[in-house]
Amino acid sequence: MKHQQFENWILMDEQLSKGQQRELLGHLKQCSQCQALYQASHQLTHLFKTAPTPAPADGFSTRWLEQIDRKEKRRNRLILFITLGVISLITLVLLSTVGLELRSVVGSFPQMMLELVTMMANWIVFINQLSNIVTPLFRVGAKLLSPVWIYLAVFGLSGVTAAWTISYYRSRHLQEELNQ
Amino acid sequence: MCKTETQLIAEARAGDKESFSQLVEKYQKPVFSVCYRMLGTPTAAEDAAQEAFIRAYQALDRYDPERSFATWILSIASNYSIDQLRKKKVTILSMDSDKHAWLAPPDPGPSPEKAAMDKEKSALVQAILAELNETDRAAVILQYWHEYSYEEIAETLDLSSSAVKSRLFRARKLMAEKWQEMQMISAPKLNSAAKRIAHETSTI
Repeated sequence: MKHQQFENWILMDEQLSKGQQRELLGHLKQCSQCQALYQASHQLTHLFKTAPTPAPADGFSTRWLEQIDRKEKRRNRLILFITLGVISLITLVLLSTVGLELRSVVGSFPQMMLELVTMMANWIVFINQLSNIVTPLFRVGAKLLSPVWIYLAVFGLSGVTAAWTISYYRSRHLQEELNQ
Repeated sequence: MCKTETQLIAEARAGDKESFSQLVEKYQKPVFSVCYRMLGTPTAAEDAAQEAFIRAYQALDRYDPERSFATWILSIASNYSIDQLRKKKVTILSMDSDKHAWLAPPDPGPSPEKAAMDKEKSALVQAILAELNETDRAAVILQYWHEYSYEEIAETLDLSSSAVKSRLFRARKLMAEKWQEMQMISAPKLNSAAKRIAHETSTI
């Protein structure tokens, strides 16, 4: 039998038949190369079996809980900012469209847009400052309400905001007309 | 009352982190052990094990209850460690770098001699594993320390059983060659540890 076959038997993780074991032992007596491989293989298995099992430091699950809390907080904050960003963008587009249509009623359009952008910037700063308070509330809300209701509420609020802004400019324009 | 694993998984799926933390408590050792053998340092192992549990928690909806939770979590840990090794090229501890060679998780061994020997063995194991590529290393770890069958390793690493068999064969050959080489070189700590193992096996 070829030398390679004995090497395969040594390195394979399979039970040899009694006949194969006899053949292998006979070969090991003659071949120093296979003998060294056989010994190395045995010593490695012994090393792996007797090496200590590494264990994490105490408090692993507590650290996990802290980490998952941090990750969830970060993710909720991101969702909140993305939602607000999308709402702001939609509101801006809506107001631009409505503003263009009603420019005869609301007066100077660039002036209105400037005021609108200033107002939104103020809002974003305000929301950023309150995010630490809003995030836990948002998390609780997400648990109590389905996402559909949350989105409906948010869109409803942005609709009311848009309507209020338009009526505000309209009333100001009417006031100016009355003054004249 | 002690809850079953199925109950804990169901509660964790409903968003109960405390229930999942009980599963973390139960599986922390095997997961940490896989990450440590793969990455070679306690710090990298801690980070990888924590991340594996976070990924498992976030992917609980996709967990198939028919499958063993242990296999599933070890699969996440192994694949994450493989990715880490590929991405960051984490340096596996080598016997040549004395500065880090004996770095290992704290072991409350019964005696200083036993602790020293455990450290030597740990370093030897890491030096041998460092010879293997990421996937072969994961296969060896799952077979030797977690007693996985070829089929379980194949499922865990997303390979075919025949691929696992040939990878393990190749890995054993490489490790045996490295071991023979280690016994010949003259690194003092390594040499003494390797010789001790050789002596231990000769007396068995």
